[in-house]
Amino acid sequence: MADTPATGSAPPGLVAGQFRVDFMAPLRDAGGGVEAFAAHDERHSGAALMALRLGRFAPARERPITLLAGLNIPGLLLPLAHGVAALPDGTECGVVICQAPPGPALAAAPRAWSEAELMASVLKPAALALDALAARGLTHRALRPDNIFRAGPGEPVVLGAAWAAPPASHQNAVFEPPYVASCHPAGRGEGSIADDIYALGVTLLTLALGHPPLAGLDEGTVIQRKLDLGSYAALIGEARLPGLLSDLLRGMLAEDPAHRPPPQALLDPSAARSRRVAARPPRRAQRPLVIAGQSIWEARTLAHALFRHPEEGVRLVRSLHLDHWLRRSLGDAALTSRVDEVVRQRGEQPPDDRQADATMVLRLVALFDPLAPLAWRGLALWPDGLGPLLAVSLGEGGELASRLEEIIDSEAVAAWAQARAEHCAAPALRQSAQQQRLWLRRGGPSGGLARVCYALNPLLPCASPLLAGKVVVRLADLLPALEATAQQPERRQGLPLDAPIAAFIAARQDGRPGGERGGAASDGVEIESLRLLARLQEGFAAPPLPGLAAWLAEQMGPAIDTWNHRGRRAELAEHLRRLARTGQLPLLLALLDNPDTRAADAQGLKQARAALDRINSESARLAANARARRVLATTLGHEIALGIGMTALAASLGWMVLG
Amino acid sequence: MKAAGHRARGAKSPAAGGVAAPRRSLVWLQGLACGALATLATPLAALLAVLLLPGFLVLLIDRVPGKPVARAMLLCGAAASVAPARQLWDHGLSMDNSLDLIANMLVVSGAWAAAAAGWLLAELAPVVVLLVLEATTRRRLAELRGARARLAADWGLAAAEDDPGPG
Repeated sequence: MADTPATGSAPPGLVAGQFRVDFMAPLRDAGGGVEAFAAHDERHSGAALMALRLGRFAPARERPITLLAGLNIPGLLLPLAHGVAALPDGTECGVVICQAPPGPALAAAPRAWSEAELMASVLKPAALALDALAARGLTHRALRPDNIFRAGPGEPVVLGAAWAAPPASHQNAVFEPPYVASCHPAGRGEGSIADDIYALGVTLLTLALGHPPLAGLDEGTVIQRKLDLGSYAALIGEARLPGLLSDLLRGMLAEDPAHRPPPQALLDPSAARSRRVAARPPRRAQRPLVIAGQSIWEARTLAHALFRHPEEGVRLVRSLHLDHWLRRSLGDAALTSRVDEVVRQRGEQPPDDRQADATMVLRLVALFDPLAPLAWRGLALWPDGLGPLLAVSLGEGGELASRLEEIIDSEAVAAWAQARAEHCAAPALRQSAQQQRLWLRRGGPSGGLARVCYALNPLLPCASPLLAGKVVVRLADLLPALEATAQQPERRQGLPLDAPIAAFIAARQDGRPGGERGGAASDGVEIESLRLLARLQEGFAAPPLPGLAAWLAEQMGPAIDTWNHRGRRAELAEHLRRLARTGQLPLLLALLDNPDTRAADAQGLKQARAALDRINSESARLAANARARRVLATTLGHEIALGIGMTALAASLGWMVLG
Repeated sequence: MKAAGHRARGAKSPAAGGVAAPRRSLVWLQGLACGALATLATPLAALLAVLLLPGFLVLLIDRVPGKPVARAMLLCGAAASVAPARQLWDHGLSMDNSLDLIANMLVVSGAWAAAAAGWLLAELAPVVVLLVLEATTRRRLAELRGARARLAADWGLAAAEDDPGPG
């Protein structure tokens, strides 16, 4: 797998030092919803390639890109490399290089496919590719007729690329299970291979019908119909399908992912049709519960209604309507008991605590429908979709970011996992929720939502405006990008390390030596910034960075001002300017962060204070001794007068005796 | 407490007893000497009494402890009286000679001028000493101000409180 090359080490204009992207040759409908351009391998000529352009806040999928590197999986457009490409206008963008489609998409020429053709050309090759993915713990999450390609009639299909955008983010609600479709497009998560089986089932149905099912309906209606009728009934409707296909789709479109056949089973459709897992029909209430004008008959639809109208859910709980309906109409004693426990836990919090309300609704949704995603104040997501959703919120900000912050801060993922522990790895989710909360609450620029975002999205480029359009995905590329910015003096405003860069460094350095701050707690942001960047230069053995060093030297005024001796400050500023020319940030750090000279400066200040105290004390004493001086002068003056008188008398007597 | 109070009242204070006793004996000796001089050398005593008259007068009115002005005047007057006393002694220690000298305005004015010089000296000397002391103090304060300014400039210490001056 070719990775993003460090700036300066790869031939210019090549992605991963190997692939050239032709942005003047766009490939329409080839990227599965992502902009695609023709690409060429400069080292090896061979299969046609394409470059998928990454969105600014839509990170590429790191696990598939890493794990599929260098593999040869038939029936799947594999990623080959990811990196940064220069656009014709001089800016940069992230790209994923992958194999180009062998032909048009299946959706390009809609028609009703025969059952035999579907089995031979679509189901089997797709099942093989999905089985290869499942064997590596990966998913595709972009299966739909416009992202499945075929070289020509009779040829097996090839699954399109799904690596350059968050999983399932371009999927229509029709092709996703209702529990996935109800999530934010970026928050659908990697999911499981069962979700791909569902999408493959809808694709087969679309091809069999010759048109997409539930066409013309909005996403909300599609989801609601699937929840009300079940996916199979909602999608098939009145259509008549061949027996084998119908039986296969009944399993592939099962609501519970555990009931869908694995890809391996689909390789033998005859055996797969006999694999029936009977789902227990949901308990139906005697009377409906009305939420926002919708009649609720089952716990499953109640969960969806609570997710869509959380305030209404809180009101129903407080008015005891929900309790009465559960006891008298639904009659599920076990469920009622668990709901009572959730409501009791809510009662331990202050009544006006909105976060506690949201947590209660989240738990109720998980109890009423354990298959449902995490629902928080009208936002649904799967926990493994939190990272891409955070990336989107980085661009959007606002309400989405604040809700995600609440989810992390309240460890909602742990509460959700606890409420449906039999359907997920609750301990692991709780642990990751705690870790994310730790990152969120960490003080300073290395904490906060951005830190969580970069930690969960290894391929998300740094969003700092200081990078001036440069796409920096790896830590090693950060310093060269900052050096390039430093070459433009008009951009050298403030420190070359803002909050996004600090969060980016902290997230990318996790687990590395020196990943955390190592200075004194009293160090200012200037020294802290210099230390971080100096460690990066040391850690990556980066070449001299005279521009960045000069930029930092210009911004070190406040750090220099922390020195007590004024003369030393001037010397330091001058010395710093001279050292900046070497481009070695560690030398700058050593000058400003030297414990010995710091101690000497502090000692000098201490001695100066003592001297000043002595001076003040003596001045005060001299000022207060004026009266004593007058008394002394009088005494001394009189003594002198007496002395002169006695001298005169002695002289006179001596003259009389001797003269 | 009452006994202690009685004891305190009954005990001689050092100023009244222990220390004052030698001074009283000195005064008594001075009085004895003066009496002896007046009895044994009356003309000389009369001459000295006139010549030292300003000093004796100031001795009466000087309220400063130790009477420094009067002492300075007496010492200076005495220095000027040595010559007339020698002249009286040389010409015979008679009352006539003593009166002749007393009548000699040059002798009397010389002694009294010496006394006046003693007075002037006793008044001026403290002023001169005070001027010297103040000048020394001001110079030291200026040195301190300079050192303080240097410390403030070098270390950024808060400027010291306003210098109140030498007073």
